[in-house]
Amino acid sequence: MSGTSSGTARGMVPAKLDLTVRIGDLVMQNPVGVASGTFGYGEEYEDLVDIDCLGALYTKAVTPEPRPGNPAPRLADTPAGMLNSIGLANPGLDAFIADKLPRLRARRCAVIVNVAGGTEDDYLRVLDALEAQDGIVGYEINISCPNVAHGGLSFGTDPVQVERLTRRLVDAVGSRAMAGAEARCDRLAGRGRRPLIVKLSPNVTDIAAIAKAAEAGGAVALSCINTLVGMVIDIKTKRPVLAMGSGGLSGPAIRPVGVAMVYKASHAVSIPVIGLGGISDADDALQYLLAGAVAIQVGTAIFSRPEAPLEILAGIREFMEREGIEQVADIRKLLR
Amino acid sequence: MKRFDTTVTSIRPVAEGCFELRFDWPDDAGVPAPGRFFTIKAGGRYDPVLRRPFAFSGYAPPVAGERDGEAAFIFQVRGRGTEFLAALKPGDPLDVLGPLGRGFGKPPRGTRPMLVAGGIGMGPMLYLAAALGADAKAGLCEAPMLVIGVRSAGFIPDVELPAGTVICTDDGSSGFHGTVTEWLAGFDPGLPPVFYACGPAPMMAAVDRLAEVRSAPFEAALEQWMACGVGACAGCAVALKSGRYIKTCVDGPVYDGRLVDWGAAL
Ligand SMILES: Cc1cc2nc3c(=O)[nH]c(=O)nc-3n(C[C@H](O)[C@H](O)[C@H](O)COP(=O)(O)OP(=O)(O)OC[C@H]3O[C@@H](n4cnc5c(N)ncnc54)[C@H](O)[C@@H]3O)c2cc1C
Ligand SMILES: Cc1cc2nc3c(=O)[nH]c(=O)nc-3n(C[C@H](O)[C@H](O)[C@H](O)COP(=O)(O)O)c2cc1C
Ligand code: FES
Repeated sequence: MSGTSSGTARGMVPAKLDLTVRIGDLVMQNPVGVASGTFGYGEEYEDLVDIDCLGALYTKAVTPEPRPGNPAPRLADTPAGMLNSIGLANPGLDAFIADKLPRLRARRCAVIVNVAGGTEDDYLRVLDALEAQDGIVGYEINISCPNVAHGGLSFGTDPVQVERLTRRLVDAVGSRAMAGAEARCDRLAGRGRRPLIVKLSPNVTDIAAIAKAAEAGGAVALSCINTLVGMVIDIKTKRPVLAMGSGGLSGPAIRPVGVAMVYKASHAVSIPVIGLGGISDADDALQYLLAGAVAIQVGTAIFSRPEAPLEILAGIREFMEREGIEQVADIRKLLR
Repeated sequence: MKRFDTTVTSIRPVAEGCFELRFDWPDDAGVPAPGRFFTIKAGGRYDPVLRRPFAFSGYAPPVAGERDGEAAFIFQVRGRGTEFLAALKPGDPLDVLGPLGRGFGKPPRGTRPMLVAGGIGMGPMLYLAAALGADAKAGLCEAPMLVIGVRSAGFIPDVELPAGTVICTDDGSSGFHGTVTEWLAGFDPGLPPVFYACGPAPMMAAVDRLAEVRSAPFEAALEQWMACGVGACAGCAVALKSGRYIKTCVDGPVYDGRLVDWGAAL
């Protein structure tokens, strides 16, 4: 975290705004990212969003094998939110590297690959293969996936599993020369490690315990939160609307849950926390930054309004000017 | 493809619980073609989150120095999103994202385009009927035939229907007493048919069987819940008979109806 004091008097416009965010050896150009699964691989939104101006792009989950996804319907509308049961549909590791990565490499924002699997070895396979590729600046580990070896219970609900998985993955990430897009994002230049960001599930009793477990395993940062389990039943057909029965709740409805969990997690660990869950405008994002997040991600709001991420960035900048804050990381110090 | 804020130019009821809404269509957004669609933010800032998809029922290109382009759609009031739309007035703002997806293909020479519309599938079929009607006049294809199926006379849209349009009602209150597929089964199109259809899954399944019997191509306009509308979220999956899934918003909404698993859609 930065050593700059946040003691600038209110209302004073700071000499220069520093919007950059440090996550381990990685420096992002600004704190606003787009969340995994809501922005595909970027190319889908090319006509609608100036992707190079984002802080980070978190890809759809990559698994070792292609996954067709869950039966349809996969979406349901809920009050100020939505349910999804996409089922990690993705073309698999090889197709990701061959078809998606070349376009991602050319991006000026930080490209962070979301990694998923059904076993620890699945995650390792993806990570090992991606370590051999350039143009990626970090990994986000989706631990909300069901662990096949543990009766399908999510990795993310058990601190012991979280620590072990994190340690195995951290060990697989090597120090490297930062090249191409990496050099653009990494202001430190030279050598560095791609940060391993563990993405926490909110479907747990004590998020602080999971956050500590990830930190103990060597995670460089946390992102928080993934979707909450939810169900909608059609009273006419008397059936759940989603073919899978339940799905993941996202959107404005979950924002207070996310803010509370980021507050808890960021006060339990000393590694940076990236906040997300229901962020639709700059005020929402600022709640997360005040709660202790160093950066944020916008997900479901992009479906409503593709411009939302860059509008949020502008809003954060305005807030910093208004409050006389020079560094994004200092926003959290304003919390009373 | 573009997201833009535009203005409602007109709204009027066209059938029981159904409205036709027209709005300004900006030049630089791309041309709305029959079968393609757009999404609307139908409500407040936070709710509903998901934009609502609708198919174009018509489009009038801009006339330089005179008027802007104008797009139209026909919608049925079903829930909170369409209730919001039904309450709009001319001059009200409208938040639109489009044009999206793939539209209908052209019928091969020497085939009879058979256009089948059921319920809210009316809009895109009316637009296609108008487009193919113009093509036929220009000698580019054979005259299309439009067959509309509704529950009863009150649901027949009060719009200009092409000459020779066949109306089928479930209750016999107007036109043919029965379903569109019952009517089609007894009809000889003279030429090898090409089926174009949009409507409820049971109707689509029946058209699929008919197309199979007649070894005819079948272009189906699909419907599925959507989140992004641009191929990013994989939420709008529709199952094919092969077991594979397609994304309705980018692989469709118009897709080879012979390949779709209509059983899974029911
Ligand atoms: C490509 C495409 C084109 C469409 N074109 C038209 C059109 O031209 N005219 C028209 O009236 N409707 C059309 N629809 C359906 C329309 O999007 C829904 O009726 C509308 O979103 C309902 O919103 P609501 O908030 O009023 O209803 P809700 O309260 O959300 O739902 C009411 C009912 O509608 C069903 N529904 C909601 N959204 C969809 C959807 N996307 N697909 C299928 N069923 C849905 C729900 O199962 C529910 O039973 C189209 C859908 C798609 C995917
Ligand atoms: C359609 C959809 C797909 C998602 N796919 C993934 C995924 O592949 N991996 C992951 O870690 N999170 C995934 N998420 C979760 C989001 O990244 C995010 O954590 C969650 O939606 C909360 O943020 P939001 O309310 O801003 O959307 C997905 C969410 C949605 C809505
Ligand atoms: S609606 Fe997102 S992929 Fe089709």
